[in-house]
Amino acid sequence: MTPLERAEARFGWKLVAPTIAILGLLILYPLMYNVYLSFFDVQLNGSKTFVGIENYIKLLSNSDYYSAIATTSLYLLGTVVGTTLLGLAMALLLRDPFMGRGLVNAAIMLPYVAPVISVVFGWQFLFDPISGVVNYLFVDLLGLWSERSNLIGDPDSALWVVVLFDIWKHAPIAYLLILSKLVSISRDQYEAAAIDGYGPIGRFFHVTLPELYFVLATVVLLRLIWNLNRFEDVYLLAPNVETLPIFTYYQAFTGVIDQGLAAATSVIQLGVLSIFIWFYIKKIMKW
Amino acid sequence: MAAIKLKNIVKSFGDTAVVKGIDLSIEDGEFVVLVGPSGCGKSTTLRMIAGLEQATSGDIVIGERVVNDIEPQHRNIAMVFQNYALYPHKSVRENIIFALRRLKVDNADIERRLAEVSEMLQLEELLDRKPADLSGGQRQRVAMGRAIIREADLFLFDEPLSNLDSKLRSHMRTEIGKIHNKFGRTSVYVTHDQVEAMTLADKVVVLHDGYIAQAGTPMEVYLNPANVFVAQFIGSPSMNIIEGTLFNDYLLVDNYRLPRKQLSNVALQTVIDQQGIPVKVGIRPDFFNDSRLFPETDNTFNFTGLQIDLIEPMGFDKEVLFNLAGEAVKARLDLRSELQRDQQIDLVVELSRVLLFDSETDQRL
Repeated sequence: MTPLERAEARFGWKLVAPTIAILGLLILYPLMYNVYLSFFDVQLNGSKTFVGIENYIKLLSNSDYYSAIATTSLYLLGTVVGTTLLGLAMALLLRDPFMGRGLVNAAIMLPYVAPVISVVFGWQFLFDPISGVVNYLFVDLLGLWSERSNLIGDPDSALWVVVLFDIWKHAPIAYLLILSKLVSISRDQYEAAAIDGYGPIGRFFHVTLPELYFVLATVVLLRLIWNLNRFEDVYLLAPNVETLPIFTYYQAFTGVIDQGLAAATSVIQLGVLSIFIWFYIKKIMKW
Repeated sequence: MAAIKLKNIVKSFGDTAVVKGIDLSIEDGEFVVLVGPSGCGKSTTLRMIAGLEQATSGDIVIGERVVNDIEPQHRNIAMVFQNYALYPHKSVRENIIFALRRLKVDNADIERRLAEVSEMLQLEELLDRKPADLSGGQRQRVAMGRAIIREADLFLFDEPLSNLDSKLRSHMRTEIGKIHNKFGRTSVYVTHDQVEAMTLADKVVVLHDGYIAQAGTPMEVYLNPANVFVAQFIGSPSMNIIEGTLFNDYLLVDNYRLPRKQLSNVALQTVIDQQGIPVKVGIRPDFFNDSRLFPETDNTFNFTGLQIDLIEPMGFDKEVLFNLAGEAVKARLDLRSELQRDQQIDLVVELSRVLLFDSETDQRL
């Protein structure tokens, strides 16, 4: 290192020091404390008894835990595939400029920027078994269903409502990320592929898709990471859909409160999340 | 193999007409160079032949087919782009054989053709690399390889050498010439560089402002330009254009009187009244000769006592600037003429090389 680089490095450390301190206090400390808690039987009055890995054993023998994993897997699969495909489709459609593209863009972004709680109420109203428009549409108007049903009330169908809600709310961010890459692909490449004899489908697979590889991988992994932890959307819309964060919440704060067990759940989830993040940084971003 | 016909091609972008009516026929196997300054419509014309732009009106015929509504992928053409347009995710090998995969050529044949092309363009060492790892010249060769391997009916080149340094450019120019001689495919080549046009073309098409200013062999456009634009665009240094007056018996330039009878390359033979008519006189710098080395004959004219303003030595040649009828005029002399600034010189010109242009319309007389 030259003296100049050393000085730059020292200055850099000074700049990031406050951030490191705050992150350490607000993230690293609770994280470690959570790992610590997972080895204790925690009482509400604050007294703790060391139990070793008993919480983990209890958790892994709990069938509800496995059902939460299954629910989370379906939720992840549905939302990640759905948002990515919908985002890609919208980006491809809206790639070329046309009259009113700005308005369409704004309309697409709306669900993403709207507050969760307000749109959740809207969705609950849509799916209401008595006065909701969905039941009206499928039962009264189209006659596809024989009777009105409470789609959010039934945990099995509620999962798919929650998936649909997430796709609707988060496809815009996928759309935005994909579109920004899409418009930067040079026209030359498409022209060369056309000259080489490839029609629109060949050009999509040989020019567009390879160019989008990085951004698609980013969208998929970011969606996985975000949605593994997604709490508020699911809990507010359909609290009966027990994905892992909600399962953990019920363990920690409702019924027979077991914060040690909840902590153990979180630790396992953190492990899975770390693998996703490692994969994203190493394999996709290639740091 | 294919001949091409362009019939009254017009192309407008919105209200802006770029190509304003081009008629051109290109014979099977011919190497045609479209040349002109930027904005003259040459690239647009090429892109219409390729099918990358749709003509606003007019017909394009390739071989027997009117291709107006045929997509580029169905025209069986190969094209070299100015920026090469290689596929960044594919290796050099995949870039080159990409079109053959689409054509479902069998693997043995692909390998044979790849070997042939990569040997010709010296690409063997590069086949497994990605375009990002290549130099500009190497990318250019890959782009050439991708076009050649097609064995397409028609080769299109869109300023393929403009991103190369001058040494590499002249090398690749020679290579393109050799490749054309070897395969003899119909080729259309766009450039703004008149040297490329002169050296490569069977037929040069000079475009100006959306129209064809002149089409002909390189020597035709060089020796017999149809108008002042072509005269000045083709040839380097460009042709001197000097104001003059044509009388019945002689051409007056400054105070020199050139006998009209010997201006054998002037078509205008009508009787001219006493005031004479104003004309533009065109003389190429290459056609001035040092009178000390070049004996005066009946068919030459000697511009005596010219005052040299500037000498630009180029090695074998030197460009000499002097004043004639108020214009800075250039002559190209070789190293035998030993000259100094401010010296006077006599320059001889063959009268058959003196061209006249209408002073209003700029057209040849």
